[in-house]
Amino acid sequence: MDEQFDFKKKYRNILMMLMTGGILVSIAVILISKPGAARIWANVLLNNQYFLGLSLGAAFFLAVHRVSQSGWHTLLQRLPDSMTTYLPVAFVLMLLIYFGIHNIYGWTNNNPTDKVIEGKRAWLNIPFFFIRLVIYFAGWIVLTRMMRKNSLSLMTSADLKYHNRKILFAGLFLVFYGITVSASSWDWIMSLDAHWYSTLFGWYVLIGMFVTSLAFITLLIWFLKRLGYLKYIRPDHVHDMAILIFAFSIFWTYQWFAQYELIWYGHLPEETSYYITRLHHFKVIFYINLGVNFLVPFFGLITFNSKRHIGWVAIIAAIVLIGHWIDYWLLIMPAAAGDNAGIGLLEISMTLIYGCLFVYIVLRSLSIGPLVVKNDPYILESMNYES
Amino acid sequence: MKSRSYISIYFDDEVPLLEAVRILRDKKETIADVLSPFPVHGLDEALSIKRSRIPVGGFIFGALGAILAFGFQAWVFTVSYPLIIGGKPFFSVPTFIPITFEVTVLFAGLSMVAAFLIRSKLKPDIRFEPFDESVTDDRFVILVDASDEGNTLERVKSILSGINTLEIRK
Repeated sequence: MDEQFDFKKKYRNILMMLMTGGILVSIAVILISKPGAARIWANVLLNNQYFLGLSLGAAFFLAVHRVSQSGWHTLLQRLPDSMTTYLPVAFVLMLLIYFGIHNIYGWTNNNPTDKVIEGKRAWLNIPFFFIRLVIYFAGWIVLTRMMRKNSLSLMTSADLKYHNRKILFAGLFLVFYGITVSASSWDWIMSLDAHWYSTLFGWYVLIGMFVTSLAFITLLIWFLKRLGYLKYIRPDHVHDMAILIFAFSIFWTYQWFAQYELIWYGHLPEETSYYITRLHHFKVIFYINLGVNFLVPFFGLITFNSKRHIGWVAIIAAIVLIGHWIDYWLLIMPAAAGDNAGIGLLEISMTLIYGCLFVYIVLRSLSIGPLVVKNDPYILESMNYES
Repeated sequence: MKSRSYISIYFDDEVPLLEAVRILRDKKETIADVLSPFPVHGLDEALSIKRSRIPVGGFIFGALGAILAFGFQAWVFTVSYPLIIGGKPFFSVPTFIPITFEVTVLFAGLSMVAAFLIRSKLKPDIRFEPFDESVTDDRFVILVDASDEGNTLERVKSILSGINTLEIRK
């Protein structure tokens, strides 16, 4: 019960080495092939958004389960809990966008003849952009820290007040997150195509975030089980993670299609411009996105047995993680980098830097305490859980 | 033909019931049936009942529904009655998707209900006489087959001596 994850020097060194390698390759690519400022900043934004999504989705996972007072996730709650500690780093990295804002956000350049953007000036102006950014992150960081501190208190004290507070914090987080995740996706992604709008966009991004973090939690379970931890996580818990990945992949497709179908049917020039950019220049990636994020989890996890083997679910989760990276790529790159966009060494190396940083922070936060919050009242329910 | 006789073992809780099922099966007694007012977790495993194949039927009929719905729309809008709607081509896949989806769900759902009813031999005029009305309320019963030679009642009683049963009778 008191087993603790040992973040060995070996793993730290591997992560550090990969990260240094990523930095070196990125610098080399930038110096040699000169991809242009827009593409570099678009990469920064893409990875900021992707890894921010991983940690926000994890907080959402916890909050939803706590508000609904579900018991099954209690044994693995420290995994998403550790993922939320990346948020302060994400804040700093997102502030970096200040230096590249003119390269990727077209609306930041004054153009009085552009009536559409002039009409949106009340929302789309640089000072308010950063005020909102600070508000979003302040709320997310404060609320997730409160959630985390509270569940860490449950490891030492068996006072029921911590359990009740857990539900309260989760509720607060859900309300704040529900509003800000939509608004932040308009700010950071949708405003790349400042003339275009979609009312479904916030939902679409939210579900994408949730699916990626479900996949990442599954990969963490797989990794820790391989090292011999988490013996008490049985196929029943894996089954539930797989059900969630399966269901929310379908829901993601639903959102994708709902947005596509209406724009396709309506055929209004200001709306179709978004899909025309993506379909004309990046047709292959466009269909790969749909195939990888829908067909793979749908057929890969449809049977009973396939959901119960952690090895198989981890493979699907890894594919889904890559798939949603491609999804974010399609959201951001064609708009931010234009014809310059592509998937090359620069994208891979920059994602490697972020990925190593993210994994390092998550594993370090995981290693500071036992893997199980042993005073949680639902722990027995989770132990005996049958899906 | 020899009439079949059973020994019924009564419980007022599902925990001793599960325990008794495991012990009886270990001792090679034939359990004819287990009656319970609600589904008991773990009972299927304890009785080694195989997983239901209804989801397979659901998948096959769902796939059939998808093919039928898509094929029908494709036929109607290209061959049978082509109409220009909103300037779209006759064969436009996105318009077919919502109906294909709905028919898939409908076929899968209805076929699973039908498969369940047929396999369970449930039909509108079914006559059902409960073995004992208390099993629809708060009693759990194991029925052990007692048609073989020997004194099964005594044997079962001795096997279950350590378990909290309400009543064991023929």
